[in-house]
Amino acid sequence: MTHPARVMRVGALTTAFAVLVALAGCSSNGSGPSSGSIPTLDPKTKVTLTFDIQTADPKTNSPQVYAAVKEFEKENPNITVKLTGEPTDTHTQKMQLAGQTDTLPDMFWILDSDARQLNKAGKLVNVKPILDAANLTSRYPATTVKGFTDDGKTYGQPSSQLVTGIWFNKKILADNGLKVPVTFDDLLNVVKVLHAKGITTISNGSNQASFACWSFLRDLSNFGWDQKVKGLLAGTTKYNNPDFKKLYEHIDELRKAGAFADNVATTTYDQIVSRFTSGQAAMVDGGLWMAAPIQASSIAPDAGFWIGPEFSDGVGDQKVSMSVPAAPWAYSAKSAKDPNKYAAIAKWVEFWAGQAAAQTQVDGALPPSTTWDVKIPESQSVFKTGLAAAFAPGTHAPANQPDLMVPTAVGTAMYDSIYGVIEGQFTPNEAMDHVQQALDQAQ
Amino acid sequence: MTWLSSRWKIAVMVVPALLLFSVFIAYPVVYSLVFSFTRFNGFESPAFNGGANYATLFADKFFWRSLGNTAIIFVVTLVVLIPLAFGLALLMQRRIPAAGALRSLVFAPAIIAPILSGLIWIFILDPHVGLLNRILGQLGLPEPEWIGGNTLTPFSVSWVYVWSQLGFAMTIFYAGLQLLPAEVLEASEIDGANGIKRVWYVVVPMIRETFIIITVLMITGVFKVFEIVLVLTGGGPVHASETLVSYTYFITFSSQRYGLGMAGAVIVTVLGMIVGLAYLIVARRRQVA
Amino acid sequence: MTAAITRARSTRARGRSQAYAIPSSIGGYVVTLLIAIPLLWIAFLSLKRSADILADPLSLSGLSLNNYIKVLGSLPLAQMYFNTIVIALVAVVVGAAVSYMLAFALTRMVFGRRRVRSAMTYYVLAGISIPVFILLFPVYRIDIALGIFGTYLALILPYTALTIPFTTLVFMGYLNDFPAELEEAAVIDGAGLWTVCVRVVLPLMRPVIATVFVLNTVFIFNEYAFASVLINDPNLYTISLAVSSLKGEYAIDYGGMMAAATLVLLPQLILYTIFQRQVIGGLTVGAVKG
Repeated sequence: MTHPARVMRVGALTTAFAVLVALAGCSSNGSGPSSGSIPTLDPKTKVTLTFDIQTADPKTNSPQVYAAVKEFEKENPNITVKLTGEPTDTHTQKMQLAGQTDTLPDMFWILDSDARQLNKAGKLVNVKPILDAANLTSRYPATTVKGFTDDGKTYGQPSSQLVTGIWFNKKILADNGLKVPVTFDDLLNVVKVLHAKGITTISNGSNQASFACWSFLRDLSNFGWDQKVKGLLAGTTKYNNPDFKKLYEHIDELRKAGAFADNVATTTYDQIVSRFTSGQAAMVDGGLWMAAPIQASSIAPDAGFWIGPEFSDGVGDQKVSMSVPAAPWAYSAKSAKDPNKYAAIAKWVEFWAGQAAAQTQVDGALPPSTTWDVKIPESQSVFKTGLAAAFAPGTHAPANQPDLMVPTAVGTAMYDSIYGVIEGQFTPNEAMDHVQQALDQAQ
Repeated sequence: MTWLSSRWKIAVMVVPALLLFSVFIAYPVVYSLVFSFTRFNGFESPAFNGGANYATLFADKFFWRSLGNTAIIFVVTLVVLIPLAFGLALLMQRRIPAAGALRSLVFAPAIIAPILSGLIWIFILDPHVGLLNRILGQLGLPEPEWIGGNTLTPFSVSWVYVWSQLGFAMTIFYAGLQLLPAEVLEASEIDGANGIKRVWYVVVPMIRETFIIITVLMITGVFKVFEIVLVLTGGGPVHASETLVSYTYFITFSSQRYGLGMAGAVIVTVLGMIVGLAYLIVARRRQVA
Repeated sequence: MTAAITRARSTRARGRSQAYAIPSSIGGYVVTLLIAIPLLWIAFLSLKRSADILADPLSLSGLSLNNYIKVLGSLPLAQMYFNTIVIALVAVVVGAAVSYMLAFALTRMVFGRRRVRSAMTYYVLAGISIPVFILLFPVYRIDIALGIFGTYLALILPYTALTIPFTTLVFMGYLNDFPAELEEAAVIDGAGLWTVCVRVVLPLMRPVIATVFVLNTVFIFNEYAFASVLINDPNLYTISLAVSSLKGEYAIDYGGMMAAATLVLLPQLILYTIFQRQVIGGLTVGAVKG
């Protein structure tokens, strides 16, 4: 499907740039002309870039990206960005089709696993030289850069930061004489007390949202996922191991104690959130991106954020806070063959890694992936609470969310396995075997 | 008509449709068939792996479950949808005030995109927040798990499919009835038990072709049921309520196992073709005999 | 021939002058209402706030037209409708024309070998059982190969092809249902192929053609899989994308979706009502059958 010669040519191109950058040295403010590695854009040259993302009607459904694009256009009046998008699964299909037929947009959102494939085929721009030239690489955590580097090339920047955790309603807990849980046993106790009163503890649902099991994916990190993943992918470690078994049995315990609602299988993502924001559930399995709808609801003053339970029978440091880069923005190498477009894309890469972009995200209650000092608006009290808990001292973030470190088929098998136990369709052993089957078939 | 049927004339009549069909439908099916024998994840070069995909599917219990669910929808469609549509068409023949508006309303569900049909019905059938169980609850009646459980979902899906196709089938029956001479239509006016006999022995045979068309369409449509299930339950819990197409779609696009997915799609297509064509052949043969 | 039609006309008139049958009227209304309730439900939900739809669907409070205002403001509905109408019109008309020709040949014309005719028939009819998503990737590539990707043609050609199996099936059914006396009379009178096809048989097919037009148009209006992937330029988006535009990355604007659905649905309903009144009602085709 890809001619080896083409791969080499693109690879050689980026290597050449990297070498030039290293030799020529970078200027500290990153404008770049002195190194001659990345073409500069004459402010009088007009360039139009196509930018395709994973939400339909981006102006309405991804207002923060829209705001960032507008800010970018303001700073670069000669660059126009045509921002388009479609629902996530349609978008993924589109990018796969486009990747196969060399009709990729200039800039686009893409699943990490797909990006790696495209990168191997040499279809993506290597952003490392651009970031290095602008001295922005250090603004990303080292794990983030490493996570998006493969085959010697860094193929993208995080489109956002995925911070998952459990929101809880302080009032419901207090009304029932419960303290905020810290360990799993605390959580189980909370569940038992609330279930006796007919209150759903954890709001979740799998209808067209099978990935919505974030807290349990995070829990895998509490049971040694990071040490095991290499072996799992190589086939030397089995998914059905004593550590993971303990986790799946804990999930089963939660089910038996009545932690979940009885219509999880038909609950959609919106219902997950609305169940919590309308006070019908004490907690919701989600993440920081829910800050905005929670802020807009009546329970905003009562919302608290919990990184997840500590397990007494877990493996390693239990203070795991799942803050990892979300799927990347990637840039088409074919488009970058045009020096003007390449220069424009480079400007966007720098912008996105910069402080202005980080501020646009925070203004919309989304955590940035970079380490700039940003001002959190006073009105975003829920977001502040979430941020404080997610980045509290003593917590550490794993390399990535477990399902994002395996092939897609294995990831979906993992979602099925977790929801299978939650919905009483799988025993813990069956659930783990289901994932193992997917791992075997992915060999 | 013999002397109008020179080879050249037949070719002219036949080629445009066949050409379009072959390029945009037949060739893609062959293309997918070829891919069904490979291991392909969408990006890297496909690797030929023989019949391994088919073997995997036949060993997959979720695949058999989806086949079973599709079979349930099939039976319900045959038993409920077709007689109901025919009865409605007969009803609409008579002089009812505002019959045109009535026909439009009955047809309306067929206009709605299947995704929307599913969306509407989830707000009616959801065991927790749906209209139906709320009403039943108020009346003190038991509230079954229409969707999301292990047993009733395929029946609920069948019902939504019937609801959405009723107007469509009725319209075709109605058009067919309109082609009949008036005396036959008078005979169709149901007037006690005698009338039903008259309908069965007089009207039905005359619109035999119409019955055949509709049955074939409904049969093949059943095998394609997809968006309804997707919206009602997402195929869950954990693939318990998938139909053939929805499960194949999951394999292809959610799990990104294209080779496997294409094998599933080929199986679905072939099944639909076999059942549809078998019915067509049998029905035609009976007609000639 | 005219005499036969006049005779049939008067027979029908006699039949029509019968009194209403009250029970069937009521039956018709009841059934229609039951079928229509879910539609009224969408219209009702379209007036509620999204949050209310999930939390308290039955309540009557907080009803407003806000969803409509929002949808009309954020989506270029007129442009999308225009695109869809253009695409649908071409695809449906061309599809009907070529399908008619094919159906006519397969039912009326004499083939050298019967096997060829059967083979062609089953070849085309097999197309009905194909789920659309199996065609997605190949058609994408074909569109690019033909250089029509991202234009109206990218959708028109596949849609035309997709209408062929169903339309051919329906046309063949009707053509089989009535005998060829009329055509044979015309041929004896010296008519050529074109005259027989267009002047003699086509007018008798009006109800079928109307049915096929409406049904295929509806199919295209709702077709999502191809429309979402084969077009890149937002100026060419079709109306089927309107409802999905209201899906956020995780969250769905249900209120907006219901409003968009109603806005998409109403014109189609009106179209159907107009069409079926004009064409299906009051036909005299029944004269042809003895």
